[in-house]
Amino acid sequence: MTTETLSPTLQRSRLNNRLRAMVTQENMITVVVALIVAGAVIVPLAVLFVSSFKVLDPLGWDTVWGFGNYVEMFTDRIIPKAFLNTLIISSGATVLATFLGVTLAWINARTNCPGRDYLEPYNLIPFFLSPFIGAIAWHNLGEPQTGLLNNWARDILGIEGALINVDNIWGVIWVTGIFFAPLVYLFVVGSLRRMDPSLEDSARTTGAGLVRTTMTVTLPLVMPGILSGAIIVFVTSAGEFGVPFKLSAPYGWETLTTQIFSKAVGDDANHYLGAAMSMALGIITVLLIWVQQRYIAPRSFTTVTGKGFRPNVLDLGPWKWVAFGYNLMFIAVAVVLPIVCLIIVSLHPVWTGKMVWADITTINYVKTLFWWRPDAIAAATNGIINSLILAFGGASIAMVMALVISYMIHRTKGFGVRMLDFLSVVPIGFPGIVLAMGVLVTYIQTPIYATLWILMLAYITRFFPYGQRNISSIMLAISEELDQSSRMAGASWFTTLRRITIPLLKPGLFAGWILLFIIFLRELSISIILFTTGTETLSVGVYYLTNFENEPLTAALSMAQTVLLLIAIYAFRRFAGREALTA
Amino acid sequence: MTSEYEDAYLEVENLVKYFGDDKAVDGISFGIPKGAFLTLLGPSGCGKTTTLMSIAGLHSIDGGRIRVGKTVFTSPKEGLFLPPEKRDIGMVFQSYAIWPHMTVAQNVAYPLEIREWQRSDIDDRVAEVLKLVGLTDWADSLATNLSGGQQQRASLARAIVSNPSLLLFDEPLSNLDLKLREHMRVELKRIQNEVGITSIYVTHDQSEALVMSDEIIVMSKGKIEQRGGPLEIYSSPVNEYVSNFIGVANLMQAKVVEVSETGIGKVEVSQGGQAVKLMCRLGPGIEAGKDAVLSVRPENVHAEREGGEGMLAGECTHAIFLGSYVDCRVKWGDFEWKVITHPRNHPRTGEKVYLRFDAEHTLAVQP
Repeated sequence: MTTETLSPTLQRSRLNNRLRAMVTQENMITVVVALIVAGAVIVPLAVLFVSSFKVLDPLGWDTVWGFGNYVEMFTDRIIPKAFLNTLIISSGATVLATFLGVTLAWINARTNCPGRDYLEPYNLIPFFLSPFIGAIAWHNLGEPQTGLLNNWARDILGIEGALINVDNIWGVIWVTGIFFAPLVYLFVVGSLRRMDPSLEDSARTTGAGLVRTTMTVTLPLVMPGILSGAIIVFVTSAGEFGVPFKLSAPYGWETLTTQIFSKAVGDDANHYLGAAMSMALGIITVLLIWVQQRYIAPRSFTTVTGKGFRPNVLDLGPWKWVAFGYNLMFIAVAVVLPIVCLIIVSLHPVWTGKMVWADITTINYVKTLFWWRPDAIAAATNGIINSLILAFGGASIAMVMALVISYMIHRTKGFGVRMLDFLSVVPIGFPGIVLAMGVLVTYIQTPIYATLWILMLAYITRFFPYGQRNISSIMLAISEELDQSSRMAGASWFTTLRRITIPLLKPGLFAGWILLFIIFLRELSISIILFTTGTETLSVGVYYLTNFENEPLTAALSMAQTVLLLIAIYAFRRFAGREALTA
Repeated sequence: MTSEYEDAYLEVENLVKYFGDDKAVDGISFGIPKGAFLTLLGPSGCGKTTTLMSIAGLHSIDGGRIRVGKTVFTSPKEGLFLPPEKRDIGMVFQSYAIWPHMTVAQNVAYPLEIREWQRSDIDDRVAEVLKLVGLTDWADSLATNLSGGQQQRASLARAIVSNPSLLLFDEPLSNLDLKLREHMRVELKRIQNEVGITSIYVTHDQSEALVMSDEIIVMSKGKIEQRGGPLEIYSSPVNEYVSNFIGVANLMQAKVVEVSETGIGKVEVSQGGQAVKLMCRLGPGIEAGKDAVLSVRPENVHAEREGGEGMLAGECTHAIFLGSYVDCRVKWGDFEWKVITHPRNHPRTGEKVYLRFDAEHTLAVQP
């Protein structure tokens, strides 16, 4: 090798060469995306944190720095109780959902229960529907006076008073529990199905009986799945706004989310106190998700091996009909009854709790869906249009982002990859309502406030990890050599992405897109914080109708949303399949 | 700027690559002439695949320089890095990497489409190459419907279709079963001969390397142990590592007694109180009085019934009949010699035998 002393010009050209080697298509795009994601995820959370230490003076004109908001959370008349209610609801919903999810998964994966293949898709439907609408439906089923079930009970059984009452904290646990049961189901059913049967067989050959084998082999093997599912249910329930808003808050059981909502909008708005409450909720959920991601998810023993195991199936004998009945009951209370009830209520001009055949009318649908008519309700009709825009646009943008992020994480060794991996877990730790408070305090003074853009931003920030996981799971399964051989064939990075990588990822892209489309179409807890007149979403429309109009109108718009969701679910099942869900 | 392999077609100069703190490739240099078939041979983790990937440009390097023809592929010191797609290389991957969403013909046509050939020229060339690899009838099947061997052929067709300046093979036969592997070795070599593209082949299978290569580089721990033709590597390994890795060898500790100008010397081996001096060839770097390793291929150890000068008296512990030869083990002290004998006249188990060595095929190498 020659000399180390170089002429200045040569030195400069080497520096240029080195810079040029770094400024590739690949690095430029990935760095830009990393910065965007960091901005979208970190900034609102940081601003939320800072804002929680701003204390509004009594007149509401000015703020001082301090811990006043946090002190108020413990001394307030309502907030401590709301805190407690949130814990009770989340715990109750977790127990119920875990019990339902594990038993249903076991029945479907490991027993000879009749019609298993037909039951499974219906078991999963509540996962895609809106729990808020579930609460509205159950209110109409189980309200003491006007509840359909209570009226049927009075007519048929001849009882006095009410059979059930769901307008309380137990009603919230009930609805939340049945709607989130599919989450546990999905976490458990995969490991039950993919478990190598020889693991159990070898326990049986050592002389352990069925019960003993189940307790010492089967259950420990699926325990990480059960725990993961339970934690996700707890966190999701704690962040759920619609169900307690409909069923318990009006009757004196406030929760953290309903309290955050009341501090975000309305007469007694106090964004800084709302920020502090959001921080409190966010810290709990983020800790739980951290435990789940760090300690529980990696312990999942059964991985996708590609080996087709035929799991051991237990012959239940006559009990299989009990299992069948149990499963049917779940589908009835979680899917069929709510939808039937909404249809009945939506066809009456006013709802008194009894079906009146002579009164059947479609006027509620006309008022909520036909936006060109003068008597259309703006909040409902805006909601449909806005939600479709947000769902199409948001899902598309989020999937592009998710694609680039997955690509960076799995295919490049460039800068910022580890940070991106971290950033794509963070949003999962924060309930939508918490992130929305952060977005609100961050952007309220900017021009994007009061536009659909702020909603789109919050939606994508909160939910892109779901799309990203759909892509990542496929990207892990396809060999990097498929990309590399395209580069060797002379194709640039971008051409390779366009002609090889994206076509191979199509199933994951499509599944992720529909999943996000569904999530965005029913989104409530972000929208409720960030909407303004004109930017209502479908769920906000439902909120508006249930709050300011009557139940039949609410039911009509709820049905419209449900039908859209069911179509999307059908498409999802058709094109994506079950595996795409468990991500 | 001058370097050892300046005149070579492909030149790798002082290549260094780290993975974290591990030095995967530790300053290796080599060059090959145009049209040659070079094999990088070594166990996993020896740096052979890393070297190949560095040439391909699929990862950056930390030091050194790679050049093909007049084009410098990469040279961190000069701040040069040519992206893989600009290097004009064909590559055959271990997993074949046939794109499952395209037909065989589409796979093969891809490099030509990237080079913006005319459609009709592409079709002609694809047909020609598919004929060469024997996949004409499979042109329109989806890649996923091919068997392993067929995918390998398709992958080769795709690699050579654009007549690249260099052809790289990353353990292309390791996923095939033994029969197919032996067949594909010959096929690959035939096709490479026919197209005449300079090739670098990475494998851990020494018999593959011996069959296919013009030249072999044996690597270990990121360094080159020996470089030479197949026969040279087999008959004159430079050290214990190479003689152990290539083929089967009896390796025994020895002391160098005498060296001579002719390259023939004398070493002493001892076991259980017996010490025998043997005439042998001397590998590079062997000096009198130092330790060495005696390396003898089993087919070069002769089992005799009668003893004599420079022979080892041992006992046959077992003799396994393997058709065309008999694989014997002969115990001499604690050492067990592997001896290959002819089925017509081989020692029986328990029999006393005398091992005879000829100096030409007995080699003292560095430990």
